[in-house]
Amino acid sequence: MIKTAQDIKSYKKQLKEALSDQFLRTALDNFNCAYRENRSAVYEGIDFEEIKKKIAAEKDAALPRLNELFELFKTHAEAAGSKIHVAKDARQANEIVAAIAKENNVKKIIKSKSMTAEETFLNDHLEKEGYIVTETDLGEWIIQLRKEGPSHMVMPAIHLSRYQVGDLFEKVTRKKLASENIDKLVKIARKTLRPAYLEADMGISGANFAIAESGALGLVTNEGNMRLVTTLPRIHVALVGFDKLIPDLKTMLRILKVLPRNATGQAITSYVTWIKGAMACGSSTTNRKEMHIVFLDNGRLALAEDPVFAEALRCIRCGACANVCPVYSKVGGHKYGHVYIGAIGLILTLFYHGKENDRAIVKNCINCQACKEVCPVDIDLPHLIKKTYRAVLDQDGKTPVKNVFLSKVLKNRKLFHFILRHAYLAQKPLAQKGPMIRHLPHIFEKEHGFRSLPVIAKTPFRDQWIRLRQPVVNPKYTIALFAGCAVDFIYPEQASALLKVLQKYDVQVEFPMDQTCCGLPALMAAEEETAKEVALQNLKAVASEKYEYILTLCASCGSHLKHNYPKIFKDTSRSPENLKAFTDKIIDVSSFVVNVLKASSKDFNVTGEKVAYHSPCHLCRGMQVTNEPRTLIEIAGYQYVPSKDENVCCGFGGSYSVDFPEISAEILRKKLDDVQATDVRLLVSDCPGCVLQLGGGMDKRRGEIQVKHIIELIAETKI
Amino acid sequence: MPTSDLVQLMKEKAEAVQAVVVKIKTMKEAFQYTVELTRQQKGTSMVATGLESRDVNLLEKACKTADLTFLKPPLRLHANKIHTALTPVDWGIAETGTLVLDSSSEDVRIATMLSETHVALLPVSKIKPDVTALENEINAVLKADGSSYYAFITGASRTADIERVLAIGVHGPQELHILMMVENRK
Repeated sequence: MIKTAQDIKSYKKQLKEALSDQFLRTALDNFNCAYRENRSAVYEGIDFEEIKKKIAAEKDAALPRLNELFELFKTHAEAAGSKIHVAKDARQANEIVAAIAKENNVKKIIKSKSMTAEETFLNDHLEKEGYIVTETDLGEWIIQLRKEGPSHMVMPAIHLSRYQVGDLFEKVTRKKLASENIDKLVKIARKTLRPAYLEADMGISGANFAIAESGALGLVTNEGNMRLVTTLPRIHVALVGFDKLIPDLKTMLRILKVLPRNATGQAITSYVTWIKGAMACGSSTTNRKEMHIVFLDNGRLALAEDPVFAEALRCIRCGACANVCPVYSKVGGHKYGHVYIGAIGLILTLFYHGKENDRAIVKNCINCQACKEVCPVDIDLPHLIKKTYRAVLDQDGKTPVKNVFLSKVLKNRKLFHFILRHAYLAQKPLAQKGPMIRHLPHIFEKEHGFRSLPVIAKTPFRDQWIRLRQPVVNPKYTIALFAGCAVDFIYPEQASALLKVLQKYDVQVEFPMDQTCCGLPALMAAEEETAKEVALQNLKAVASEKYEYILTLCASCGSHLKHNYPKIFKDTSRSPENLKAFTDKIIDVSSFVVNVLKASSKDFNVTGEKVAYHSPCHLCRGMQVTNEPRTLIEIAGYQYVPSKDENVCCGFGGSYSVDFPEISAEILRKKLDDVQATDVRLLVSDCPGCVLQLGGGMDKRRGEIQVKHIIELIAETKI
Repeated sequence: MPTSDLVQLMKEKAEAVQAVVVKIKTMKEAFQYTVELTRQQKGTSMVATGLESRDVNLLEKACKTADLTFLKPPLRLHANKIHTALTPVDWGIAETGTLVLDSSSEDVRIATMLSETHVALLPVSKIKPDVTALENEINAVLKADGSSYYAFITGASRTADIERVLAIGVHGPQELHILMMVENRK
């Protein structure tokens, strides 16, 4: 039985257990790495960006027409002998299937894999009604025997080792088995399940596609069990979500290009099958199969009309959002979803299984954007997860204390900055002499101690500005610095380094004093109103018309200003007039120096020192900047040394690392291990948040690698 | 793409998914190959679908000589006894090494699903570069009146459900052999 935590306290307890499962973590970490490699190989020669946009557009066009597509499908399918049913919810779907079984005097049922049947808990219902149900997909059979839910949408038993499966099969076969041999385990499933196909009266499958123009179902599989399930018994029931309706074969073939590639790194699965109508069937007294198709609504038709969430129905269940998720790879699917797993699971759970089951898990997104990048139907998953969190809060009618505080403080810049200034005094005794707080006071729980924390600056950058500002005669460019809170109050030295570099390039830097927090922390806490309010303050404060660029040293601020601001105002009737001018001018420091200033190696002293690079999530995925920082390191006279998984999250995620410190620590551990596996003494990144996380973690483990912002690195060699 | 390139690509892609690809020239060769393979694998039975009656007779004879049981339709009666299934296929898709087979006949389905070894007969003239080139053909079947069961088969059945380790031969055939038939130019 699936037991999803319904409150954050029990959820954290479950997470702790999951984190102590060494097999799970190693298996999923390896999976995460191997998947990314296989995937990029199998996409060679395919324009992923183009095809995903096309599929997204086709799916979007189909959603408002679901009823029409359904009618078309029904006409064709019925003409070929299929019987079509509609279930408004999970219970009705289960009852329809049970009624078909009863009418036809069914005793034994075999099933092939169907997430939709998992969604309705169909097996539980049928077993309660007295039917013997056997799952035949290997992974599904394993979890059925263990009485568990799937931990992955494509590989349901990925959380288990061969030894656990071996023990299970020993119980089933009552024979001693050599568990280390996976081939043998697979053959046991083959041998044990064979008779079940022939004995069964009814086969139940899902479907990947329901093609309206022909009334055919499309199914994409590997093991061959679905083909047997749909062939041997005299009755076939397919349970299909309304979202699986597509207009035509062309659409299916396009999706078929990405589904296996994204799901398992295969160019195509072993089997792709089209089934239309009631087939000839020797085990039926009429020589014709009883063919039933049950279309499940369960909220889909309403979701299809939702201006924000309809996008989630594009999902083709490839499971890739889990495969690349750094959180999933630490805690596994049973703790990262309810029935549906991964980023899409955090969203769909609310709609298919209710707020209780989503309340805790929906908070567990670090917002690294890896899922969004890999999604083959272009769902803005991190954005929708926050929207879902908002919906959960609204339905619960509660506002967490953190949210109340955050909203109150962020909306009032002067109050916010007052608090930050006074934080310096509060933490001063903790820092002893150095720039780091290595031991947190006891009011913090010990899981927060995985990194040292930087000391808040004695004098924030904004208070140094009058002194630091230097007028440039005949400037090449006039830009505004959007510092962000971390640079302003924790790392003013990063801004000073920027001034040093840009002055030498004759760039006039201005610092609009009324700028405040970019608002990302508010959006991450699903405080949309606060995020909007803060955005308006910044749009006003920065007055973009005066500047050619608005430069950020913080990737998170940068991607939030550039890409989230338009989303924030998307559902308001009027977006602010200067919004587009503002967002168009946002630029990160590496892109500015490399692409705009056209920096060359002549501008820098050569040190040849080896430097590793961490690519911030919000830079490489958020702002799609990948080459410029690496180029800049080389231009500035250093030797860039690649390390493993540079584009994978460092585990910071702003307040995520405070809310889920143990997961943050685990993600960080792997990141630092990867950097330490190189022979560098310096690690740079272009986000103060990443610098805080990486630097704090390195300090805590007394590593010898120094962590800096990329601007500090290049300021040192700038001539 | 010239035929020779298509054949080569089809072969490479099919082999990449663990299919065994062999070029043959005559039906007689196909029968010899299948009978010999069955004996090597210590199988005792064979089925065939989609052959002309003259060829069925030849194959039956070859089986008899080799001491193999040639099982006759309806194949459901022999469901658990089929070692090798020999079936012609309708098309090949070179890009992915895929075989395309109208499986609306129950015998075709049982042969290709329940056999231990599936031997597919693919005339090289039926190899298409990619799936787009077959869109009309597939649609013609799906849009025709009546029911249909249409299949793409790419390699033997497989799983990675235990520790993501690839295992070949789960519920479907454990081996797939493709006999690419180079037609005689008379």
